[in-house]
Amino acid sequence: MSAEILATPDTGAAPVGHYAYDQVDRAFLHDRVEQFRDQVARRLSGALSEDEFKPLRLMNGLYLQLHAYMLRVAIPYGILDSRQMRELAHIARTYDRDYGHFTTRQNIQFNWIRLEDTPDILARLAAVDMHAIQTSGNCIRNITCDQFAGAAVDELLDPRVHAEILRQWSTLHPEFSFLPRKFKIAISGSPNDRVAARFHDIGLVAKPGRHGTVFDVFVGGGMGRTPVVGVHLRDNLPEEDLLAYLEAMVRVYNEYGRRDNIYKARIKILVQALSAEGYREKVDAEFAAMDRARYRLPPETVAAIRARFGTPVLDAPSDAADRLAEARRTDALFDRWVRTNTHPHRAAGYISAVVSLKPDGGIPGDATSAQIDAIADIADRFSFGEIRISHMQNIVLGHVRQDQLHALWQELGRAGLASANIGLIGDIIACPGLDYCSLANARSIPIAQKLSARFANPALQERIGDLQIKISGCINACGHHHAGHIGILGVDKKGEEFFQLTLGGSAGNDAAIGQILGPALPEDATVDAIAHLVDAYLVHRTDGERFLDTYRRLGAALFKDAVYALA
Amino acid sequence: MDVRNNRRQAGGSSVVTANRLLDGRIVWLAEDGAWSGRIDAAQVFSNDGIEAVIDTATRRQQADGVVGVYGVQIGDDSTTPVPVTVRERIRAFGPTVHPEFATLTEGPPDVR
Ligand code: HEM
Ligand code: SF4
Repeated sequence: MSAEILATPDTGAAPVGHYAYDQVDRAFLHDRVEQFRDQVARRLSGALSEDEFKPLRLMNGLYLQLHAYMLRVAIPYGILDSRQMRELAHIARTYDRDYGHFTTRQNIQFNWIRLEDTPDILARLAAVDMHAIQTSGNCIRNITCDQFAGAAVDELLDPRVHAEILRQWSTLHPEFSFLPRKFKIAISGSPNDRVAARFHDIGLVAKPGRHGTVFDVFVGGGMGRTPVVGVHLRDNLPEEDLLAYLEAMVRVYNEYGRRDNIYKARIKILVQALSAEGYREKVDAEFAAMDRARYRLPPETVAAIRARFGTPVLDAPSDAADRLAEARRTDALFDRWVRTNTHPHRAAGYISAVVSLKPDGGIPGDATSAQIDAIADIADRFSFGEIRISHMQNIVLGHVRQDQLHALWQELGRAGLASANIGLIGDIIACPGLDYCSLANARSIPIAQKLSARFANPALQERIGDLQIKISGCINACGHHHAGHIGILGVDKKGEEFFQLTLGGSAGNDAAIGQILGPALPEDATVDAIAHLVDAYLVHRTDGERFLDTYRRLGAALFKDAVYALA
Repeated sequence: MDVRNNRRQAGGSSVVTANRLLDGRIVWLAEDGAWSGRIDAAQVFSNDGIEAVIDTATRRQQADGVVGVYGVQIGDDSTTPVPVTVRERIRAFGPTVHPEFATLTEGPPDVR
């Protein structure tokens, strides 16, 4: 794997939904595991100091967190197959404490890993074409993608082939292993942004153009200490220039991005410093001067990569939709779950199902080994063995026959995975926070648990409607609080936890950064405050208005009073 | 080491902590320079002399198989050392969201 895109012809059956590795990929992964095994041995013998070893372990996804090592495993564009999923369950069961945590970057983290076990774990992952490379460090990180890619009815173009092309381009790119800072790319093929394209270093929206695929390009978005909504850099970038143009974008960043101050090192700061216009000029100049032939992405390469993706045969019986309608009529609980936890599919008789990892009072994104296995089994039975991790920390089964949806839902129920709350107040994003994270100021998970227990009533959740609560335990904003309709940020006051509320953020097409409502509150008061915010919304909303719309229409004062006037 | 993890007031007392190299688990410096997984086994030092203790322990890191040695201020008013910050209480007693992982079954499970 290098800057050149490899596309050797495939022999075996490709997994549905993601790219089939070839022998070159496999040999590379094997070598990386053995290299790390040797590094671990040298660390344990004392031949490598912690300072020498730390960057090496981070390159392999291994962090040292509060209680133990944490291993972050890459799930390229959030898609894996049931065989890989079962391996994750096996790792959780054997090497961790029987669970894993799915993250907003569509990866999985294990929280209780032993250093000495890590080479074996990486070897097991490599055996199923998985790894932990590029999950840390100042490189191009896992490329995230629409969780309904290749399935959604509103999609113009399946972005996964291009996600894979970008993965190959960025993996171990010789120039881009030591960027000024980490670099995150998201890609979507739908006009409805489900990947937070405007909150990424580079956000791409693929669509059909007059002469083939083209891309809208956003740059310089991000969360963290300085949240920025990305700017629209250009329209209609032709597919054959995709790599050349991105290469130029990253080169300009690599050359001009600041390396003296980690808080000013992300591309968003550079774009602000140069202005969008200034940055675009530099990129265009680089693009004009570079060896374009070398980076040209010809249609044949795209086709060759596409050929290594398995495609599902979508042949639902003609009465599939009727049978779903019938099941909904006779089973009210199922009907509720279908209302909240499904997404329309492009193919007749099919639907996408969202498995909520947000049980009432539970830990957002956590799944036990048994649940991970159950999801693998359910995917095999109902969705071509294909599994997607969403940036909302849920799981999507992309291609489910409508007449089989009821049976799928019953299986989910048996695994404790049938919460009907997608997009509702119970569908909370929370980062690991102070319960695990060594950078945290405050705990995120307990607030998520208290809120989800408080609003557990499904009828109440449906009445409140679309409301995204996002919680980060510190200003790094891993929980996307800046983009939450209601954001919660943990702050540290003399060693005690406090929480700051922000309102009005959004990650979609109407991307916006939430504004701070008022002084930070202690934990229980924060939970009460959110109940007051919801009450105020329910009183003042007009028909069909989301919380976010009411807030935008009426402004902060009303909500501020609801929280602070009572005291 | 992050100053945030290392803040102390003059006059108080502290314990010394690190993570074990092999498995990353949290350990506390106990009597005789041994490292224990339990904070109730930790030796309590007056803050006046703590820097020297941390220095010595840091120099022995590799031999002892630990990483990231630092001092943790504790409250004055209990028999089991209880750190003054939430962060260190979570390290000492385990993640609050998994009571079954509590490091001391008889220790104070509520870190708040
Ligand atoms: C527990 C270990 C973790 C550590 C040490 C960590 C560290 C960080 C740091 C330092 C940043 C700020 C980077 C910057 O602004 O330059 C960051 C941002 C971020 N992290 Fe994490 N993180 C952790 C876990 C997670 C998890 C579990 C997720 C997913 C749920 C996540 C997703 C993100 C995202 C989405 C951002 C914002 C990206 C941006 O800056 O635009 N992180 N993280
Ligand atoms: S937001 Fe802060 S507390 Fe939460 S995971 Fe990221 S670094 Fe840790």
